[in-house]
Amino acid sequence: METFQSLLLGFEVALQPGVLWYAFLGCLVGTLVGVLPGIGPLAGISILLPLTYGLDATKAIVMLAGIYYGSQYGGSTTSILMRIPGEASSVMTCIDGNAMAKKGRAGAALCLAAVGSFLAGTLGVLLLTVVAPPLAVFALRFGPPEYTALLVLGLIFLAYMSTTSLVRTLLMAAFGLLLGTVGIDVMTGHFRYSFDINELGDGLGIVPVAVGLFGLGEILATPSHQAPRDVLKPRLAELWPNRREWRAAGWPIARGSLLGFLIGIIPGSAHIISSFISYALEKRLSKRPEEFGKGAVAGVAGPESANNGASTGAFVPMLALGIPTGPVPAVLMAALLIHGIPPGPTLVSDHPNVFWGFVASMYVGNLMLLALNLPLVGLFVNLLRIPYAYLYPLIVMFCVIGVYEVNNSIVDVWIMLIMGVVGYALKKFSFDPAPLVLGLVISPIFEMSLRQALIMSDGAWRIFLQRPVSLTLLLLSAGLLALSAFGYFARRRDWRARLAAEAGEEA
Amino acid sequence: MKLRTDHVAGAAFVALGAVVLATSGDLPFGSLAAPGAGMMPITIAALMIVFAAFIAASASASPPMASVDWSDRNHAGLVVLITGLAAAAYRPLGFLLTMSLLVFSLLVIVERRRPLVAAAYAIGLTLFAYWLFGKALRSPLERGLLWF
Repeated sequence: METFQSLLLGFEVALQPGVLWYAFLGCLVGTLVGVLPGIGPLAGISILLPLTYGLDATKAIVMLAGIYYGSQYGGSTTSILMRIPGEASSVMTCIDGNAMAKKGRAGAALCLAAVGSFLAGTLGVLLLTVVAPPLAVFALRFGPPEYTALLVLGLIFLAYMSTTSLVRTLLMAAFGLLLGTVGIDVMTGHFRYSFDINELGDGLGIVPVAVGLFGLGEILATPSHQAPRDVLKPRLAELWPNRREWRAAGWPIARGSLLGFLIGIIPGSAHIISSFISYALEKRLSKRPEEFGKGAVAGVAGPESANNGASTGAFVPMLALGIPTGPVPAVLMAALLIHGIPPGPTLVSDHPNVFWGFVASMYVGNLMLLALNLPLVGLFVNLLRIPYAYLYPLIVMFCVIGVYEVNNSIVDVWIMLIMGVVGYALKKFSFDPAPLVLGLVISPIFEMSLRQALIMSDGAWRIFLQRPVSLTLLLLSAGLLALSAFGYFARRRDWRARLAAEAGEEA
Repeated sequence: MKLRTDHVAGAAFVALGAVVLATSGDLPFGSLAAPGAGMMPITIAALMIVFAAFIAASASASPPMASVDWSDRNHAGLVVLITGLAAAAYRPLGFLLTMSLLVFSLLVIVERRRPLVAAAYAIGLTLFAYWLFGKALRSPLERGLLWF
């Protein structure tokens, strides 16, 4: 009952014209970000973060979150019509979505992707409404040892779930943790690796690093002559799927929504992983697995629902625990912090307007996205016809402005450039930069909680084993590491590698 | 022995970790009961060296270095160079001039587009961004040489 009343308060906030306008703007920009290849949700949110400085916290987070889940909707458009994932989580949609389009069912594929995304998003918000507040109450009991153990589990889980190898992911996370130590040590006042550059005293900002790795890095690796332009244009009259297609989509949407939400709660690139797992699951459960790759409806409905469910699920640990599960929630957390609102267990009690307004706006945002994506699909398709050679200078310009405007610092622009080159090199050597950004974000929280825990216990490591919650979390971490080690030493390719290989072959 | 991508990547990260350790000399490590400013970076750098060495040691499954496609290097190099010059010129020249030049240079030098079309596009785009950031969103943009 209390939750229901709080949600009503949230709707009062979310339905204010100003908040509605920014939710709409976020959804629209998010769809564009998802549609346009070469600019993902992380780069989109990071670049547009400075635009929210003049807004209050609720409007800012509503708009930025709209960009995030809007990009999951938009990513399906390029996947289906061009066989190019506008966003990494839409990779699986390319396979059967584009095959459906080639059979003249592009409209139906887009409609199923949009409806699946809407249902998954709505179910995700319902679950978020129920799960996040009690989790936040529980987390109030967490002290430094519990937070340290939770962050360790997050990193190990990220590595375990990653489609690249465990060691590669841990290396990237370590690199991110290391970058996170640049700047003044808040406990002792020592300058670390700032090389007499004043701006580095505050540490490396997440925005220049994220925009460099994901925005500029992508542009550096994509010369315009390599950008594909073959777009299939659906007719609006063909948007409605037939009865057989609806039937085939029902269960995959339900399974994908739930699976996506659960995976979203776990740290890692959940929205990407969830679509891979959903595709594999649907293929395994299908009575006609041979149809997968040739236009199977479940191959579109399942992954699209899963990636949207996951993007909503990712908000649970961010809002309730103050812990980001990936780079995008990390930037959203940074946005809240910029507005003086610390995400975490106290968010629900101290800032109910922000928390419940945000949750309610997601119900509204999902409706907006459904209304936006179907009738305006023709407009988005036309955007894809803008030559990439004219598009990327615009993105570079926005990267420079966006990064500079955060602190009015040219040093941040240099950091972005350096990280762009690093992102380009990482791509060449098959490293995933997402754990790096996650490491950078959690580094200060991790270091602070670890050092506080050690000071509390007078240097005794036993403190992590004496407290039930931290012991459980560390045992889970050890179990995951043991599983990975077993897989490695048994010289067997595990399910993630097989899945990635299968996806690579089919794409 | 054939040089593979993970040999190079692993060696690069080992070198990075070593540089971090070498430059951490003035940071106090402290003790477990009172951890110092150097404890976290030194521990993480050591871990990074271990992970990187493992990757380099098990590089046999990675592709040969010669198979990496570097055909986009000219494009990447030019974009970095032009954006770097724009970053250096941003404060002295200001928003309007720098951004127009940035877009124009990318179109003409990297994309080999006709200068007139590129100039029109660059100016139009910059004016739009100026209106969006400077006027609609009231972000303080660098004025530089211009008076507005």
